[in-house]
Amino acid sequence: MRALGRPSTTVPLILSLILVPLMVVLAFWWTGDDVDQGFSQKIFYLHVPVALTSYAAFGYGAFCAAMYLWRRDPEWDLRSYVGVHSGTIFGTLVLLTGPIWAKASWGVWWNWGDRQINVFLILFLYYCAYFMLRFSLDEGERRRSASAVYALLGVGLIPLSFLAVRIAETLIHPTVFTSSGAAMPNTFLVTFLVGLAGMLSLMALLMAVELRGKRTAMRVLELQRAARGEDA
Amino acid sequence: MIGAALALARVKLVLELRRREVVFAMLLFVAATIVIVHFALRADEGAGPRAAAGMLWAAVVFTAVLGLLRAFAAEAEEGALDALLLAPVDRAAIWLGSALAQFGFLVVVELVAVPLWWLLFFQEGGPEPLPVIAALLLANIGIALVGTLAAGLALGARTRDVLLPVLVLPLAIPLVLAGVTATYGAFGEEGGGFGPLGPLGFLALYDLIFLALAWGTSEHLLGD
Repeated sequence: MRALGRPSTTVPLILSLILVPLMVVLAFWWTGDDVDQGFSQKIFYLHVPVALTSYAAFGYGAFCAAMYLWRRDPEWDLRSYVGVHSGTIFGTLVLLTGPIWAKASWGVWWNWGDRQINVFLILFLYYCAYFMLRFSLDEGERRRSASAVYALLGVGLIPLSFLAVRIAETLIHPTVFTSSGAAMPNTFLVTFLVGLAGMLSLMALLMAVELRGKRTAMRVLELQRAARGEDA
Repeated sequence: MIGAALALARVKLVLELRRREVVFAMLLFVAATIVIVHFALRADEGAGPRAAAGMLWAAVVFTAVLGLLRAFAAEAEEGALDALLLAPVDRAAIWLGSALAQFGFLVVVELVAVPLWWLLFFQEGGPEPLPVIAALLLANIGIALVGTLAAGLALGARTRDVLLPVLVLPLAIPLVLAGVTATYGAFGEEGGGFGPLGPLGFLALYDLIFLALAWGTSEHLLGD
């Protein structure tokens, strides 16, 4: 179990301390106002990186779930849980910042015709149920496999939801990244990338801290059992 | 493996024929759901095709969840599951057999529910039957595959009955979207979306993807 090593907290801590404030400074003082949306577009530098980070965390959770099913090392189960957990935290942020932006830019809090936000909602609902499943099973092999299978199934849901929610193609969601490159000025792009890197480091930090906590809890449990003279 | 799955599905269908525990409840449930959604939408003031399509699909999905709640009930209650797990069959076969039985239950329910829906909402006109039937069959496959897998996951859980709908419903959202679009299209109206695949192609793709994912993971189902 220790073979997987300890994820560093120092590097992501330093990176997020630099990058997240830098993103805020760049967004407010360096980039100009968007011609179309004006000041409200600033939330783009937070909302989109948080959404992409959330997808990355779910993806990481699913990857670790697959690794668990393959290798049967409880460490992968912990990592998968931590991935899905961070994804849900960032997902909550997405569902908070999304409507704020939508209200400012489209005039409504929620737009059922929009693809991105609805796909995200489906995925968020799906992964929220992960915690219900996990915590209503007793700790042990059964819980680990069931959680892993469920986390892995979400991988099928992402592309399918993207296809399915196309029904009402309103194109209201700004499609910034097209196949011909990023449709925005370089200052916007740099700020966005700084924001993305900042959010990814923040996610790495959160996951490393939570993983440490979980490992310590497991270790304490093992020691308590050993102290009582039971088999660990 | 297929033989074992078919045998298991047969056992489930025979048991159901003798006891009539699940399908009868599903039939009453689907009728009640159609009526409830109908009144919730005030569809008596002229149900548009979209409202009618929505009613059918909402009722089908909720009814499927009701059936799934009993997917492994017989095994769990009578200790048959331990025997099955000890038997020299793949766990994928246990999952596939239950999925086949669920598919069968759904078809039986729809044989009653769809004509009823038709009668209630379309005294004249109505959609073309073929695309609606095709969409229902494809969606039945998807929901049976995914739902049985979820039922297997929830099997050992303390809150099994509460948990299962929460696990299954988000997975069923794409199915409902495609099913409603296909049904709407059967009225000759523009359903829109799904690109070159069409809603039926999308449903088939959904079935294939989850068949692969579920098959690959089903050996980890049902505990140790």
